[in-house]
Amino acid sequence: MIDIDLRLPLASFTLGVRCALGEQVTAVVGRSGSGKTSMLEAIAGLRPRAGGRVAIDGDDVMELPPERRRIGYVPQDVALFPHLNVRRNLTFGGDARFDEIVSILELAPLLARAPASLSGGERQRVALGRALMTAPRLLLLDEPLAAIDQPLRERVLLFLRRVRDLGVPMIYVTHQPFEAMALASWCVVLDRGAVVSQGRPSGDVDNVFEVANPRHEPARGITRVTTTDGLELVLPYDPTATFPLVVRISADDIVVFGEKPSSISSRNLIEATITSIAAKEGVVDLTAGGIRVLVTRAAADDLGLREGARVWLALRSRAFLVVG
Amino acid sequence: MPSDFGIVLFTLKMAAISTIVIAPLALALAAWSWRAGAKGIVLDAVGALPLVVPPTAIGFVLLELLSRRAPFGRLLDRMGVDVLFTPKAVVIACGVMAFPLMFTAFRVAIETSERRYFEIARTLGATPLRAFVRVTLPLAWRGLLSGVLLAFCRALGEFGATILIAGNIPGRTQTLALAIYDRVQSGRDADAGTLVFYVVAIAWLLVGTSGLLIAQQRKRFAA
Repeated sequence: MIDIDLRLPLASFTLGVRCALGEQVTAVVGRSGSGKTSMLEAIAGLRPRAGGRVAIDGDDVMELPPERRRIGYVPQDVALFPHLNVRRNLTFGGDARFDEIVSILELAPLLARAPASLSGGERQRVALGRALMTAPRLLLLDEPLAAIDQPLRERVLLFLRRVRDLGVPMIYVTHQPFEAMALASWCVVLDRGAVVSQGRPSGDVDNVFEVANPRHEPARGITRVTTTDGLELVLPYDPTATFPLVVRISADDIVVFGEKPSSISSRNLIEATITSIAAKEGVVDLTAGGIRVLVTRAAADDLGLREGARVWLALRSRAFLVVG
Repeated sequence: MPSDFGIVLFTLKMAAISTIVIAPLALALAAWSWRAGAKGIVLDAVGALPLVVPPTAIGFVLLELLSRRAPFGRLLDRMGVDVLFTPKAVVIACGVMAFPLMFTAFRVAIETSERRYFEIARTLGATPLRAFVRVTLPLAWRGLLSGVLLAFCRALGEFGATILIAGNIPGRTQTLALAIYDRVQSGRDADAGTLVFYVVAIAWLLVGTSGLLIAQQRKRFAA
């Protein structure tokens, strides 16, 4: 649990943020100049004029210097040390879970490289890894996708999801609401230094899979693949694709059946049990077999969808979008 | 009478020792001033003082400090340390006069090594000292080296303060600058010219190297 009650005088207004955040990912959304970065820097301990309280699991860290706060900070410019190679950047502050972090962020091929030779996405991953290796109690990310071209964004989002699954609470600053929704379980909206609203993010939800082990069937126009979670999927055949591949399918593009359909054109039919379900304004947001699905309230009522119910999910091959 | 080669060698040695002695002091003061931020201006002014005061004035102050009339001079005398009119006085004069150049160059070098990296190092658990040594200094090394070279050049050419506290004793405290003065005074212009050639060649080589290093550092930060 992270309790924030911050005050920081800035040039045109005083930042005053009060919020209580859970263990997962919190997105802080707001226009440029709304005080997002200042808030992160104050939490990290880089703004000596900041006052108030930032408590992580009850420990107030505001009186501590940055090096004793155990808060990882990845600034927007990532600030990899230019004179150290990737490995020495990563281990600068510690080497906690070195092998695990190198593996989930796929850093092994980069270890001997110099920061100047990395692409934007690679730099972002190294900076994430460097912060994680200090075993932080909280991770602060400032616009992690801002400097990255569109096709690579989904791929970095995938790595961010893996980091989220490590269980380190994250505060994620962005000015693009879609990013906030793709990753965050809580959303705080900042305007001129004050929290104007907060709540659970809503809107378009995507499912992102990393797939490998392709088995091509050109005559039938399909390629069978396996996701990192072991799910078998069928994608349209594409001889130019290089694996592993990242694909996404919108939660709106998935059809739910209450019983196993006997004949169907959709090549992906997945049997799963509903693990969570929530209704909001006529839309039901459910997760089954790790896949997010949005259906109308009417459909959910007619099918009798509830937690623990068994369903069949149909994912059209052609609804998958290759994103990286 | 020492040979030209002997004078060049002695001068290089004096300049090298004084540069080595002042380097840690200049670095500490530059780091302190950098950490102090806006308040560092006072330290900057102290560090740069010998640059704007005439060398003979600095020599006079040093002479007063080191003479047996002053408490510090008396203390040295009691300890059996002879400073005035010895090579030690040459080192002190060169060091004091070269200090501001080294300090100013260090200050600029540290300032251009972005504070951002220092801050990020601290969020990664580094104490201010560790962040400074492992991140700020390595990023500033070209500027630091050029500061050392500039200070060395200044020490090579030091005259005013040296002649006041070390005298101009051939074979004992006579440096290149003093020897040139001596030879011109006694009408040996051709001999003075030879020494001028040496000192210009050495200084040109060092200043050139220093300029090259600064240009490289600038390019690196522009990239």
